[in-house]
Amino acid sequence: MRHIDVHTHLAPQILWKAFANGENWHGMRHEVQDDLEFIVGNGKRILINSPKIRYTPEERLADMDAEGTDVQVVSIHTPLFPYHWETAAAIKASQEVNDEIAGMTRKWPDRFAGLATLPVQDVDAAIAELERAVKVLGLKGAELDMVVNGQNWDEPHFLPLFKAAEELDALLFFHPQPQDNIMALERTLRYGIPNSVGVVLEDALLVATLIFSGVLDECPNLRVCVAHGGGGACFGMGRLDHGWQVRSEARVNIQKPPSSYQKQIYYDFLTSSEAGLRFLIDSVGIDRVVIGSDWPFVGWDPSPGGWLESLESLSQEEKEKISWRNLETLLGI
Amino acid sequence: MRSIDIHAHLTPQCFWRATEDGGDWHTLRREQDANGRPVLVSGTGRGQLPPKASWTPEQRMADMDSLGVDVHVVSPFGGFYNYDMDTDVTVATSRECNDEISQMMQSWPERFSGLATLPMQDVPAAIAELERVMVNLGFKGAMIDDKINGKLLDEPEFLPFWKAAEQLGAVILFHQSGDTIVDARIKRYHLPNSVGNLADRTLTFASLVMGGVMDACPDLRICLSHGGGYACYGAGRMDRGWERTPESQRVAADPPSQYLSRFYYDCIVYTEESLRFLIDSVGIDRVVFGTDWPYDMAQDWPVSWILAMDSLTQDEKDAILWKNLETLLGI
Repeated sequence: MRHIDVHTHLAPQILWKAFANGENWHGMRHEVQDDLEFIVGNGKRILINSPKIRYTPEERLADMDAEGTDVQVVSIHTPLFPYHWETAAAIKASQEVNDEIAGMTRKWPDRFAGLATLPVQDVDAAIAELERAVKVLGLKGAELDMVVNGQNWDEPHFLPLFKAAEELDALLFFHPQPQDNIMALERTLRYGIPNSVGVVLEDALLVATLIFSGVLDECPNLRVCVAHGGGGACFGMGRLDHGWQVRSEARVNIQKPPSSYQKQIYYDFLTSSEAGLRFLIDSVGIDRVVIGSDWPFVGWDPSPGGWLESLESLSQEEKEKISWRNLETLLGI
Repeated sequence: MRSIDIHAHLTPQCFWRATEDGGDWHTLRREQDANGRPVLVSGTGRGQLPPKASWTPEQRMADMDSLGVDVHVVSPFGGFYNYDMDTDVTVATSRECNDEISQMMQSWPERFSGLATLPMQDVPAAIAELERVMVNLGFKGAMIDDKINGKLLDEPEFLPFWKAAEQLGAVILFHQSGDTIVDARIKRYHLPNSVGNLADRTLTFASLVMGGVMDACPDLRICLSHGGGYACYGAGRMDRGWERTPESQRVAADPPSQYLSRFYYDCIVYTEESLRFLIDSVGIDRVVFGTDWPYDMAQDWPVSWILAMDSLTQDEKDAILWKNLETLLGI
């Protein structure tokens, strides 16, 4: 069975090469402290918590072979999103990352597809780079954060970006930054909760924000995929529907119940439990769930595809759709 | 068959009386919004008071009759937490609220049971009031917020409270008030409530489990309102996080999902599919009937909603509607 993985991260080689030469990459530098390595700069201190994030494409391919992944849809490691950088640097960095990913997809077209990084603090520049990434570089869309410098995606000035993505048939893959812009950080830093719980809450709120924004009505053919199975969105959808019924402020942009939009969105299968995945499939439909492994940050037993194939509550046809058919159709790969 | 509702709020008559002519009640006031509807003003907080919030016990019982609800386990609504006020004020408001519920319980013992509100900003005072209502007034426990002036309930300062609640056999119902974590991100579309309540409850589950409170207090009885938020759905990811944490840094003895069946959950999840998932995740003996009376996020016909479900057996419906709470609360 073919395995296409929509959720795989990349810290670009251009960054590691700069570090190896003792240089910065757009203000990001390498630091070692107490045997821990960090990427530091632009107000961030990013712990390098998997050695694989340094892998060259060749090393990555060997790892994919070992876990039986045929195609990785590669996107940037989200702490490197440049939304808060100076705009010119963010544009340049985005171009460099996208060129590097495009190089991987050209050299190994059967193994890699790519999602662009965009300088979304400047919507016009983001649209221009998305167009270049899709039309010139052959990337399949872009990866986006949950929030842009405190602004939510329902802000009207982002609508042209969604319109452009719809026009380009570009996939927008939404993924939070587990150590930053996480609502749960306001409450606790303990026990890894910002990542293990916070991410689930972020994804759920993102699904809700997209639905209530009306973007899915404005752009009916927009292709959106949300990481980590959309967090708790499918489980909490009934509360969104009830809120929509009883509160006029929930109905300002949408005339149908929120749950009627959840099948317009794709979700990766990273629900961390078979029961959770089964519930997701039954909620959003088997055509909307795809493999997303969170490479290289999640250890799979034995592998992402192996886990999927081991599940007893899914039919063979369902496994094939999740494993490759849905993404083959969606991305044309 | 009976039905016992653990999630039923009270805006006490003592507040309505004191604020009738524009007066204040322990600094709390009543105003009208642009549409002439009453609003509770408490410090900088403002809370909408729905039409039924002013109803007397007699009017409430008539509504319970029409809904087919036999017992309200009454709790003051979260606007009366008053955790950000001077402790003296909060002790006074808590005692008055709790005394009024006590009167309801005495007058109609078949129809009302009680969960207290407590001055949680002062742990000894909170323990004293919990003891008073449990020992002297026959309450079943208390309702508290997911955060006390910004602090989650796994902070060490709250451990004596948890020990006391465990010893008293008190049921602690978690229910948000004021801002949820979603408020800081987005206030539109009712999301601070429709996502935020679930988000805050999930953090409560995670912090009590991963912070070791459930290990420290093995007999503690906690009920998470709104079905525990995303806790049951997100427990798998919590397990992965726990597994990745070095053993020396772990506080909880077991993976978080192992604690799901240590909590109780009300049934306010709105869809039969989600309720089925909750039951299958936490066990049928852990899901209890709750309605959120008298707020607009309550289901219109909550008893009928449960009774009409095809995917639940009659035994499961009985467990949720009354048997579990009969056992838990002894009523």
